Order: sequence, then structure tokens, then C-alpha cells
Amino acid sequence: MQIKDYTNAASVREAYEKVLQAQEKLNASISFIDPEEQLQAVPEGKLQYMPIAIKDNFNVKGMVTTAASRILDNYVSQYDATVIEKLRAAGAVMVCKSNLDELAMGGTNLTSFAGAVHNPYDLERISGGSSGGSAVLVACGAVPAALGSDTGDSVRKPASFCGVVGVKPSYGRISRFGLIPYASSLDHVGYFTNNVADAAKMLEVLAGRDDRDMTSSDRPVENYSEAVGKDIKGKKILVFGNVIDALPDSETKALFNKYVKALEEKGAVVKTVHFDPTLMRAILPVYYIIANAEATANHSNLDGINFGHRVEADSADEIMTATRTRGFGPWIKKRFVIGSYALFEENQERIFRKAQKIRRLIVDEVLKELKEADALIAPASGAGAPLIEGQSTDELSDEYLIAENHMVIENFAGLPSMTVPMGLSEGLPVGLNISCNAFREADMFSIAAAVEEISGLKGNVKEDY
Amino acid sequence: MEYDIVVGIEIHVELKTATKMFSGAPYAFKKPANTCDSVIDLAHPGTLPCVNKEAVRKAIEACTALNLEIDPLIRFDRKNYYYTDLPKGYQITQQFHPIGRNGWVEIAPKSGKRKVRINRIHMEEDTAKQFHLHDETLIDYNRAGVPLVEIVSEPDMHSGEEAALYVEKLRQTLDYLDVSDVKMEEGSMRCDTNVSIMPKGSNVFGTKVEIKNLNSIANIAAAIDYEAKRQAEVLESGGTVVQETRRFDEKTQTTVTMRRKEGTVDYKYFPEPNIFPIRLSEEFIKAVQEHMPELPDAKEKRYHEDYPSLSDYDISVLLGNKEMDVFFEETMQTAKNAKTACNFLATDLSGLLAKKEVSFAETKLHPASLAKLVNMIEEKTVSTKQAKEILELMLEGEDPEVIAKEKGMKQLSDEGAIAALVAEVLDENPQSIADYKNGKTHAQGYLVGQVMKKSKGQANPKLAAALVAAELAKR
Repeated sequence: MQIKDYTNAASVREAYEKVLQAQEKLNASISFIDPEEQLQAVPEGKLQYMPIAIKDNFNVKGMVTTAASRILDNYVSQYDATVIEKLRAAGAVMVCKSNLDELAMGGTNLTSFAGAVHNPYDLERISGGSSGGSAVLVACGAVPAALGSDTGDSVRKPASFCGVVGVKPSYGRISRFGLIPYASSLDHVGYFTNNVADAAKMLEVLAGRDDRDMTSSDRPVENYSEAVGKDIKGKKILVFGNVIDALPDSETKALFNKYVKALEEKGAVVKTVHFDPTLMRAILPVYYIIANAEATANHSNLDGINFGHRVEADSADEIMTATRTRGFGPWIKKRFVIGSYALFEENQERIFRKAQKIRRLIVDEVLKELKEADALIAPASGAGAPLIEGQSTDELSDEYLIAENHMVIENFAGLPSMTVPMGLSEGLPVGLNISCNAFREADMFSIAAAVEEISGLKGNVKEDY
Repeated sequence: MEYDIVVGIEIHVELKTATKMFSGAPYAFKKPANTCDSVIDLAHPGTLPCVNKEAVRKAIEACTALNLEIDPLIRFDRKNYYYTDLPKGYQITQQFHPIGRNGWVEIAPKSGKRKVRINRIHMEEDTAKQFHLHDETLIDYNRAGVPLVEIVSEPDMHSGEEAALYVEKLRQTLDYLDVSDVKMEEGSMRCDTNVSIMPKGSNVFGTKVEIKNLNSIANIAAAIDYEAKRQAEVLESGGTVVQETRRFDEKTQTTVTMRRKEGTVDYKYFPEPNIFPIRLSEEFIKAVQEHMPELPDAKEKRYHEDYPSLSDYDISVLLGNKEMDVFFEETMQTAKNAKTACNFLATDLSGLLAKKEVSFAETKLHPASLAKLVNMIEEKTVSTKQAKEILELMLEGEDPEVIAKEKGMKQLSDEGAIAALVAEVLDENPQSIADYKNGKTHAQGYLVGQVMKKSKGQANPKLAAALVAAELAKR
């Protein structure tokens, strides 16, 4: 079902039931929102009666918002995030707060204090993260749309693993006010749908300047729906050569090549580009340095003093220490240590500042090519979702894999980027990632719609799991 | 051994804005605890900062008035540390790129006028206020996020006197700019000083000691003088000065150890990612600068030109109290004698208001009425002595002319009428005339006194004296 198929309270209630039913096998929600109160008065709008899942790192006034961390397990939001206000005004109805990696730090959705999220295509497999719950709830057909956040690839990677559309627009396109941060310079509000037209429609609602987020852009919000179905003839599309070269001869590679050919047939001008491999190798370490440095400061407010989980102790200092010691998972503490280390006065120039410089170099390297073109495409993941068993939650020790980490580039550069399903590889969904120049979301939706046309996967869901 | 004292001062000034630095929450001093805070000030998850434009304007004004170069690219940084008065766990400040650099002010110590250099002015946000009770700590978040500027001097002062003059100069300037309440006792202006000593003529700085939370200008001077003496005694007795933070104890007029520094804290400063650098246009800065109120230095010059009767001291007294000075300026719209007006304000009215605990801004006495009173003296319709009596009765807003009339306090300045009284008195006192002629000059004073008595005190005493002298000469 697409957004337009939800037209009344009954369809919302049905979605709510599906969300409840999905919980046992998928564990995709952290809390449920009985929609009855919202159904009392549903404003007319683009998303009227659209049920939606909200990643549990967005503040919804009066609801518990945990960010999947014990340190916030009793935290009741005092205000609505800007995107929540916008969704309410557009007539959307929230049905649950969805599961995620603790504080959105992770790519597996195995680190949530509420437990792992399971992939509807294979319950033994991960959903991907950090917006795993939202991806899964769209993938299983419970809701037509779900809110997520994307700091490294936290919307686009789970979208690939779960066979849904995942969008992360330009930095500043959607207000971050009310999104519990991970790393402010990399954080983006994103979302999932099961088709490109709905994705375009969602952005029309979510985008726009917000005076409460100084980094939000005052560029006018476009009619993105118009871009869907537009001819892509003459569009210059770059294929990310480094990623393709790194893929083994697999079904994913074959599938991707099929799309390249099909896009050419639709009139796109396709060219393969290779970026400086040294810079590409730096993506992951640069990401972890910047993201963890910002995160360690961003989460210094979680100290048990004026809200959230508190561990009582004899003095204020001891309360803060005890609360943080108990409240955070081990992987989070490790990230904070790394982030702090990078910021220490004696290390900052050598580590944090250097990482910022290399981030700039990586961005320049990619933009040099992209500026002369319309889009950069690559498989969103080298293969389908990995098995839960044996999957490490200690991603900081991950080795460098360009095929798995390239989507961080769009967070570095603030570029619009989305994943569209391209089919099954070894029986599991894989997505195709499309990234465009800043604020050229319209280009992105045009190309995504063409990919969807090729795949025939519009509205694809996996209801039998 | 003789020592040179080296003093540097850091001053935090709360900016007088309607809302906070980054949250838009309203703020006013003395509001009930925890009524001026928003989710942003409390650092609830997901909140973001927004720069208060008015605070930037006020910072520009402060920089301009204190002769700093303004950086048109406004950037903020995070200063990270955990403390219960800091809800975010970091303070947003301007560590790397302060809004102002390299300024100065002129002070006039006894040794002669000189400049004190200002290293920087930066914007930041205040912390919450804590109240430590015997077994609990209360936190008032009203102050959390209030806009501050920190003004950091170079170590250019060499005595308690100079430090006090420097702080007073800043206080006065910021007060006239209206960028802050600058009330040290209320904490809207907070002063930390660094004091060290070194052998006279040396250029190697000694170990500096920080003195915190000085709540009056007098205490600044006293604390520095005491601290310099203490350090000299330590050195003289063969000891070494320990780097530490001390506080001034008002009762004993001494400084006492607060905490020893054990290595410096690493605040892990880094650029604030939620606020992109803001480019201020030249027009914006100019518009702010062009609308600045007149500053004390310019005013001092103008007073010297416009009111030559005022002494340096008079002017410094007026400028030292903005409310009184505002009153003075309004009085001078119609008053004809600046010196008289100034005297009334600085001594008589100040005293009367202080007794009633009413400020110049609050009193019902209108400047125009004071001007009227000044002019009554000028026109010799009342004596200065009478005017002082009238002033006391004016505090509730009554008109001086009405009071004078009711009390029959018209001064007799009609020469003919006084001359008639003089003639009468002289006629009645032949013995005094004889005494005067015999060289007993005090007899003249007696006769003047008799004239005054006869006029019921209303005769213009100067005129009466002159006429008595003239009449005596005639007889």
C-alpha cells in the first residue's frame, strides 16, 4: 500500500495492528502509540491518515523517547521535534517509536537496549542500522513511511538490507531540531517509504527552513513529486568505480551492471569514475574521529541531573559518573573515549583537526567530478544483510571496505542521497544508491524513479515473514 | 626587596537582552527560580542553539566603546566540562575567534593617565546558579544561557588602585552603553583578577594567583593590595608563591585559598557544529555603531566645554552615577547654573534619596522642578539655605515655587526695600556705628544680622551686606 491508499481512520488502525503484530518476530518498535487520540482530529494535508513510525531518537511531546539507550529509558519528551510538528500538521498519524542502535551509533541495530531488530526477509539476519526498526516496519508492510536519521548511512544502508526506499536529503534541507543528535555536522533527518513517489511527497512535507535549527536552509521547498517520472535523457550519471572494483563477481555486481545498462537505454549518459584511493581509504577513520568527537560532547547532557535515568549517589559528581557508567552500553563508552582522545589539546591538531581537513579533501575530490554531472551511483551494500550470529557490534574495529562505507561521503558533503531497491542478491534485498549535488533532490528523485521503473519494485513489501 | 605588581583582569558581563544567548527564552533578574528556562537552556536531548542577534549587537557596541577590532565572522566553539551548573556538559563560547581583539581604555591613576590594553572580548553563555545547602544542592536554571561577554585585559595594571580604576572605567562605559546592568553585587558583572609580583625592574613574571568572585570595586583594590603584600612576604621569607585560586574574605580583608591548581583542565575546545560561521555585513556593524549612546569619555569632554563651572571632580561624580547624570542632563535643559545643579544632585539630593532608599530614576522629584529651584537661586528669589529647605519638601513632586510661597520664603532682593531696612537698623543702633568707626569691624556683621532679622531672613544677604557697608561709609 502506498500513502494514497491510507484514506481513513480504519486504515490507520489496521497499520497500528500490523505494527503490534510485527513486534514478536521483528522487534522493530520500542514503544507503541495508540493512534486513537490523534484520530480525534486529523488535519487535512498531504499525508492525511498516513500512519507513520518514528525512530525513537525524535522527540514526540509526552512520549517516552529513549534513543535505545538505558540512560534515557524513562525520558519523556518535553516538546515536539520540528519534523513531528510538520507530520502532525500534514495529517500523518504516529503509531510507534521504532527501534535503533543505541543513540543511533551503529550500523547493525544490535546495540539497542531493547534488543536486536530482525530482517523480515530472513529473521536470522540484521536489519542494518541505525534506523533498523523504521526500515523493517516499512519493509514488512506495516506502515507506508517511517522517520529515520542518517549520520553515516543509517537510513540508506538498512533500506538496502530491507528492500525499501531510504532517503537522506541535503544537509539543511530538513530541520534537525528535536532529533537526538549523534554527530551534529553529519546528522541528517531521513525517512523510508516503499516507493519513490511517496519519498518525493514526504520531502515536500518535511523540508524547509526552521529558525530553531541555524543550519537549516532557507531555499524554497520544491515540488519534488513533479520530478518523479521525468525523462532522464541526457542526465550525466557517474558510476563509483572504486566501489565496483572492490566487489567480488557476485549477483550484486551483476544486478548493478544490469541497471547501468538500463539507465543508458533510458538515455542517461553513464561514465565510470575513480577517486583517489588514498582518500577513499581515509573515509572510515575520518568518519569515526569526527563523529565520535562530536558525539562525546553532544551526549554530555546525559548526566542524570535534570532529566533521564539517574543513579543516586552521594554527590552531584558521583551521580553523573554513576549514571553515565550504568546508562551507556560498552560500545558507546568506547566511542566516547575515542572522541575525547581526538579532542584532547595535545591530540586535537594531529587527530581531530586533521580529520576535518581530510573530510574536506574527500568532499572536494568527489565534487570535482560530481559538479560536472548529475548523480553518482553505486550499490548501497556489497551484499544482502549479514547474519545476526557472528556479527560484531564493535564496528570501530571494522576493516576498511569501500563497498560498505562509501555512503559516508554524502554525510561528509551534505549531499542528497537515497537508496532504491534493485532486487535480490543471493535471495536478499540489495539497493542502489543515488547521490546528487547539494539541493538537487529533484534530480535524485527523477533518477530513482527510473531505477524503480527498471526494477518493477514499486510498493515492494515482505508481509510473510 | 621592592616588587612590581602585575595585575590582569577577566570580567564577565551579563548582556541586557530580553532573551537568552541561544534559546530565545525570556530572561530577567530576580524572577522566581526556574521560571526563565526552556528545553534548550535545560539541554534537553535534541535541542539546538540559535544565536541571539541583540546579544551580537551589544557585543559589537562593547567592542567599539573599548576600542577593539571587530571580527566580522562570528564563530562559536564548545568548551567541554562536566559540572552540575552546566546542563549541556559544554559551554558555547568563542575560544578561537573572539568577536573583538586588541582594545584599550584610558585610566587616570595618581601617577598620571595611561592606557590599559584589552586582549579580547568574546561572547558566551552563563551557567545555572547553584545553592549548596547542608545536604543538598539546588539549581536555578534561570541564569543558564544568559548572554555574557568576557573582557580579558592584558596584565597592564600595577596596583589595586589601577585595577579598581580599570574596572570602574569598564563599568561606567558599559553602563552608559546600556549593554548590561553591570551590578557587581547582583552578579551581572563578575570580576576575576590575576595577581603576581616580580622584583622591581624585572621582566620575568612571577607565579600568578587568581582571585575570584570580587563583588565590589573597593574589594578589588583591597584584595589586590593585600595579595601583593602577601606574595612579597612569602618571597621575603624564602618561600615560593603557589599557583592557586584564592578568594577575598571581606571580614578580614584578606585573601584565602579556594583551590590549588593541579594541572590545567583540558576543555577540549572545538568549533560548534550547530552554528555555521555568521558573516556580519559592514552595514550591519556600522548601523550598530552609529546608534550607540554617547560614551563617558566624550561626555566628559562635552561637559568641560558646555559647563566650565564644573570641576574635574564634579564631572567624575556625575559620570560615576548614570542615573544621576541622566537627571543632571534633564535638569540642565532649563537650569541656568550647572554648578548649582551639580551640587544639589551630588550632595543634597543624593543624601535625601539615599535616606529614603529611592533612586534618581524612581524619585517623584522631576528634573524640571530641580531646574526651577536652581533658577530661583540664580534669580535671587530664594537663598541657597532656603533652597535646601525647599528641596526636602519637593521629594513628593511638589513645585518649588509653590513651596516657597506657602512657606513665605521669598528672598528680598529689592534694593530699595533692603536699603530702607538698613537705614532703619542703623538709626536704631548708633552705638554700633560708633564702634565701627572706632575700628571694631565686627560691628558691621552685627548690623547685617539685624537687617536679616528685620527681613525675617528673606533679605538677600549679599545685597544686605553691601548696602550696610555703603550706608556705614556715608554716616
